[in-house]
Amino acid sequence: MATREELSEFLAGVERRAFKQAVFAVRDESHALDIVQDAMMKIAEKYGDRPAAELPPLFTRILQNAIHDFFRRSKVRSAWVTLFSSLIPEDEPDADPLETLEATGDTRSESTETTFERGQIVAIIEEEVAKLPARQREAFLLRYWEDFDTAEAAAAMGCSEGSVKTHCSRATHALAKALRERGITL
Amino acid sequence: MNQDEFGFRVRQALNDGAERLDYRTVLRLEQARGKALALQRRAGPATVRLPALQLATAGAAPVDGGGPWSWLRGAGWAAPLVALAIGFVAISQWQEELEIKRLAALDFAVLLDDGPLDAYADQLFGVLLQAEQKADD
Repeated sequence: MATREELSEFLAGVERRAFKQAVFAVRDESHALDIVQDAMMKIAEKYGDRPAAELPPLFTRILQNAIHDFFRRSKVRSAWVTLFSSLIPEDEPDADPLETLEATGDTRSESTETTFERGQIVAIIEEEVAKLPARQREAFLLRYWEDFDTAEAAAAMGCSEGSVKTHCSRATHALAKALRERGITL
Repeated sequence: MNQDEFGFRVRQALNDGAERLDYRTVLRLEQARGKALALQRRAGPATVRLPALQLATAGAAPVDGGGPWSWLRGAGWAAPLVALAIGFVAISQWQEELEIKRLAALDFAVLLDDGPLDAYADQLFGVLLQAEQKADD
C-alpha cells in the first residue's frame, strides 16, 4: 500500500506533466487545473491503498478519462447553449464568434515574445503538440513523455499496441514537419 | 533522426516547459495535491462481516470453523425464522382457545336460558336451535 509520503511524492512528480497534458487537450489553463485536481482526488480516494508501483498507469487512465469527461460535458453544454441561443433574438448581428479564440492565441504569442529563445522554442513545440489530433497526441505523450512502453500505452488508451505505434508514428511525422516549417530543427 | 531520438528531444523541451510554470499554477497544483492527500484511502484492519442476527454464542467458536458450537454459526440465519414460526403457532393456539371459551360461554348461557335477547332475535340462532331440537328428537 502507498504511504501518504509515497502518494505525495508521486503526485508531485506527475502533476506538472499532467497539467500540461490537460492544457494541450482542453486549451484552457483553468479547466486543465480542475481536471488535474479531480484526477488527483480520485486516485487518492479510490486507489490510495494500492501499491505505489500501480499508481502511474492508474493515474494516467484517470487523467485521460477526466479529459474525455470534460469534452463530453462541454458537448452537452454547447448543445443546450445552441438550443437556447437559437431561441433568443440576436442583438448584435455583426458580432464575431471567433473573437475569443483570437484573443487566446494573442495571449500565447505575447507570452512567447517576452521569454528567452529557449522559452520561445519550448512554447512553439507545446503549441504544435497541442495541435496534434487527440489520439496521436495522447499516444505520443504517453510513449515519449510518460515513458510508457507500447503495451502500457495501449492499456492506458484502451486500444491495441498496433494503434499506439501508428498514432506515435503519425504524430512524430506531423510534429517534425510542423516544427520544420516554423524553422525549428531538433 | 529516428523516431525515438526525436521523441526524446521533444520530451526534453516539454519537461523544460513544465518547469517554467507560473507561480499561481504551481500553487494551485500544490493545493490540489493537498486536497487529494486528505482524501487518501486507507486500508484499515480487515473487517469481519457477521450476520446481523447471529447468535451471541457464535462468537465463541474458533475462526477456522471448528469446535462443538460451530453449527450454531451456520444456524444463525435460521433463528429468526424459527422464532417467527413459533410465534405463529402460539398466536393460532391462543385464538383457538379464545374461540372455545366464547362458544362454551354461549352454550352455558343457552342452557341456563340466560342468553342475551339479541341472540334470540338472530335468525341464524333460531335455525341453530331448531336444528339442535330436531337432533335431540
